[in-house]
Amino acid sequence: MYKHRNSQGSGSFSWVFQRITGLILVVIMIGHYILMHYTPESGHTYDAVLARMQSNWYRVLDLTFIVLGMYHGLNGVWGIFRDYKLKSWQTITIISILIILGLAFTLWGIKTILDIPYVQTSSGLLVK
Amino acid sequence: MSEFKKFDQKNWVKTNLSYRKDSGSWAWILHRITGIALITYLFMHIYSLSPLSQGREAFNNFMKTYSTPFFMVMEWFLFAFVLFHSLNGVRIVLVDWADGARYHKALYRYSIVIGVLMFLAMGYVMFSHEIHKLFS
Repeated sequence: MYKHRNSQGSGSFSWVFQRITGLILVVIMIGHYILMHYTPESGHTYDAVLARMQSNWYRVLDLTFIVLGMYHGLNGVWGIFRDYKLKSWQTITIISILIILGLAFTLWGIKTILDIPYVQTSSGLLVK
Repeated sequence: MSEFKKFDQKNWVKTNLSYRKDSGSWAWILHRITGIALITYLFMHIYSLSPLSQGREAFNNFMKTYSTPFFMVMEWFLFAFVLFHSLNGVRIVLVDWADGARYHKALYRYSIVIGVLMFLAMGYVMFSHEIHKLFS
């Protein structure tokens, strides 16, 4: 009897999610670029970063950016590899490298953001 | 009947390059190249911002290199990569979800025009301080 094949395991989730993350990343990326280059200082000095990171909204935004960007990027790289006939040991090797690299750098980025101290006083002034 | 071209597996790069390419094929090729460049940049970006953990002095010293004109121009060119990948990504979504296969060539032309305009606008945002200095 004919067995109905559903879409599970066919990669359709990653296909949809690649588009959704892509659309979110477009918005964040343009904003990020304008913000980081609005003045020569805004993206290139510690104090500017420190001031931004007093807001948890910025922290959450940057964390989202890292996680979504890394997922979208590495899923894209995997998509390129998947265009070629791979032997199963090659598949396992490539996926392992991508996941390990991705996790390591994502955690590194998250740590960098979370390590930035909160220095704001109740009056809203930065303590230097 | 025209000569049937056998796919030469050993020279697949050369064979692929020999195919005739319309806007869609170029979009596909450039989307890959810009995508690989951007994920590589993301890794470098996470590495290069890690001195944030070492405090103000370490970070500012580290960032001096990236505030030079050379790196600023490089960052501007990086935006061209970002723009192509973003606008072509939107084009892909429209092709997939909004019947864009009917108008994907027009979309490609619009993306190029919008991309060039946004690239110039970002150039003004990034270098406006230098430009104002020149004329003051």
